[in-house]
Amino acid sequence: MKALLAIALLLATCSMAMADAPMAYEDIQPSKIVMGESAILRITSMDSELPNFKMPEVAGLTFEVLGHSRAMEFVGGTASETSSLIIRVTPQIAGIFSIPGLTPKSQPVILEVDKDRNSGALPLTLNGQAPRPPPPPEPKTGNAAGIHFVADGSAFVQLKMPKGAVYVGESVPVDIVVGVRPGVVTSLNGLPTIKGGDFTLNNLSRQPERQEEVLDGKGFLTMTWHSVLAAVKPGDFSLTVETPLTVKISSRSSEDAAFANLLGGPFLQNFYNGIAPKEITIESLPTPFHVLSLPTAGRPADFSGAVGAFKISSDVSTLKAAAGDPVTLRMHVTGAGNFDRVDSAMLDHLDTWKTYPPKSSFNATDSVGYKGEKIFEQPLIASQAGEQTIPALSFSYFDPETRRYERAQTAPIKIDIAASLADSSLHAPAAAADTHAGAAGGASAHPLTAGLKADHAPAQRTADSLIPLYLQPRFLIIPAALALLVAGGLIGLRRRPSHASPRAAERALAQLDAAARTGDASIFLDTARTLLLQDLAQRWQMPAEHITTEELDSRLGADAGEINGLFALADEAKYAGHAGNPPDFARWLQIVRRQLGAGVTS
Amino acid sequence: MRAAHIAALMVALGLIGSQSHAQATADPGYSADGLYNLANSYARAGKPGMAVLNYERAALLAPNDADIQANLNYVRAAAHQAPQAESRLSRVVLLVNPTVVAWSGVIGIIIAGASLLAGVVSARFRALRFAGIFVGLTAMGFTACNALVQWPKLREAVVIVNETPLRVSPVPMGDPLQQLTEAATVSITAEHDEFVLVRTGSGRSGWVARADVADVVPRQPLR
Repeated sequence: MKALLAIALLLATCSMAMADAPMAYEDIQPSKIVMGESAILRITSMDSELPNFKMPEVAGLTFEVLGHSRAMEFVGGTASETSSLIIRVTPQIAGIFSIPGLTPKSQPVILEVDKDRNSGALPLTLNGQAPRPPPPPEPKTGNAAGIHFVADGSAFVQLKMPKGAVYVGESVPVDIVVGVRPGVVTSLNGLPTIKGGDFTLNNLSRQPERQEEVLDGKGFLTMTWHSVLAAVKPGDFSLTVETPLTVKISSRSSEDAAFANLLGGPFLQNFYNGIAPKEITIESLPTPFHVLSLPTAGRPADFSGAVGAFKISSDVSTLKAAAGDPVTLRMHVTGAGNFDRVDSAMLDHLDTWKTYPPKSSFNATDSVGYKGEKIFEQPLIASQAGEQTIPALSFSYFDPETRRYERAQTAPIKIDIAASLADSSLHAPAAAADTHAGAAGGASAHPLTAGLKADHAPAQRTADSLIPLYLQPRFLIIPAALALLVAGGLIGLRRRPSHASPRAAERALAQLDAAARTGDASIFLDTARTLLLQDLAQRWQMPAEHITTEELDSRLGADAGEINGLFALADEAKYAGHAGNPPDFARWLQIVRRQLGAGVTS
Repeated sequence: MRAAHIAALMVALGLIGSQSHAQATADPGYSADGLYNLANSYARAGKPGMAVLNYERAALLAPNDADIQANLNYVRAAAHQAPQAESRLSRVVLLVNPTVVAWSGVIGIIIAGASLLAGVVSARFRALRFAGIFVGLTAMGFTACNALVQWPKLREAVVIVNETPLRVSPVPMGDPLQQLTEAATVSITAEHDEFVLVRTGSGRSGWVARADVADVVPRQPLR
């Protein structure tokens, strides 16, 4: 028997360790106190053990653990336990405090602390006695009709829908209610989901609304999730919601029950009660649902799939702007429906405006995004000055109430567009002139005026461009042409270091003949020297004046002798008046011709 | 003889160029004094952005005008803009009017070119030719330095609208990086549609609306 008892205890311990974290919730009573009073924060776990948690830290509040409590309940012969931790909360200052949830699955609780009785809505104290804290709220008595209890009546899940027929794409706000009996259901293992793939459940609230209710005479903790249901195709369907959870069920056989009865009281029975946690998935009763197709007749071209009841309005960021300034055009779509399908291209093209793609944002006014306002913002830039009109915006949607397509429209907006400030920079501002005149007349001027140097007398010299002259293309032609000219000149002149062309040589030889006929040795020899020097300079690619006696000796060798002799005679004829006879002239002419011929040959 | 022809051609070319330029500048347009007076008007009207813009433009035509520099610095300081640091080189080269600098560069080319050609033709007056080359190259170098200093100004712009958003992308709804204050000077590095990519004095880059900034040197010549 002892062995059997030990095995049962071991199995119970293991199964409890393997189960998910137990469901826990917390509440504070009273939720409104005055300074000097305390409130009781109670953390309740639907299991025999409390989950691990850390004592909260809230500025202005002190927390003190008063003790633990444990309750046992018998449901259908099955014992279940709940554990509670009681904490005293004492405020240090007045105010409204939010105490964060102590367990992962619990929500924060609010404690309101007033300075005194008169400042709040608490009842006045009679005879100086502190008021008793208000009694805890009574559990609401609900109607169990239409609820399908499962798991031995310890849990249920229910889908609440406002209507039974919708259009494809239409969003319908729905409530999903899960009710559990504390102590029997130990944990929720997931969020409720729709069974089947023909519907989408959007924007399911993260935290359910919790409430205690009495249904069929039994206490239930009900959790309500809000969501939006949408159908993806037409037809007749039946909707079912399912939720996974863990319940405690009795696994005793009749023999074991008889044995447990032999143990005596409930406490001893608890050691051998045969209760084991079990993960199950509960389902709601099927709900018939009819999905209609959107009519094709009368469908606007700009219909984007929005179904619901909407209104639109528009405005602009400013009614006065300068050309080139961005102006934001906004379209507000408000109402209820499938805002995820609410779309608009705004203005695609405007003649005098540059348009940009719009962007949208959505502000929900309920927890599931069924109601709210979607704002489209489109930047526009005016390209022309003057009064401009932004045309009306329109938006098409299907209204399930009227069962037809509707078209909402805004009014056109007029905007005063001034000339761009940058373009008008060469014209003094009127305000400036006024201010200047005002200052001259003794009126108050802008503070900047005080430290300014005086205006200059207008000058006549003007320029048609502020680009420096040396960077203007048409001016750059001048230095470029000059540079080319210099370069061309350098190249051309370097190719002809000497000017002794054949024709010039012929002319020089003719001059030599003429000088020989007249017998003028000075002219003859001077012309001969010039002619030879030019010829040699051309041959040796060097200036004629650089040709010296040494240069001749080194370059010509033996031939240099008669040229040097000719140059010496030229100097003698020039400075000493040396005169030659006809044979001399013939010999000299022969030397010159030979040297010129050598040059031509070489 | 040929060198004389080239020199005559160079002189004639210079004369034709100066004449055509003088003809062009005879048209009404910008004047340093007019821009300075305009800038003063904007400053009195409490528009520091437009005032700084026109002072900058006036300074392009008359870089050594003390009044322009004084008022520019004053309005910048009043608009809480840091004064622009000037290098020693820029202070020196901006002492002379850019138009004078441009023509001095042309004259420098003529002098240096003529000296070089003369050296090819004749070896006489060697010292004079070297002096000519030196003077010509100096004049051309001064013009080049002036151009180097002025070149960045061609891409500069002044913020003329206060709290101009500096955006990460060239669209009106682009996330703003920071707000540019009026009269701030920025450098334009790229353009896209109605936006320009600018670099601020602190080195930050971003897109601003074209209408919120004005180029110091307008793109189109005035007609």
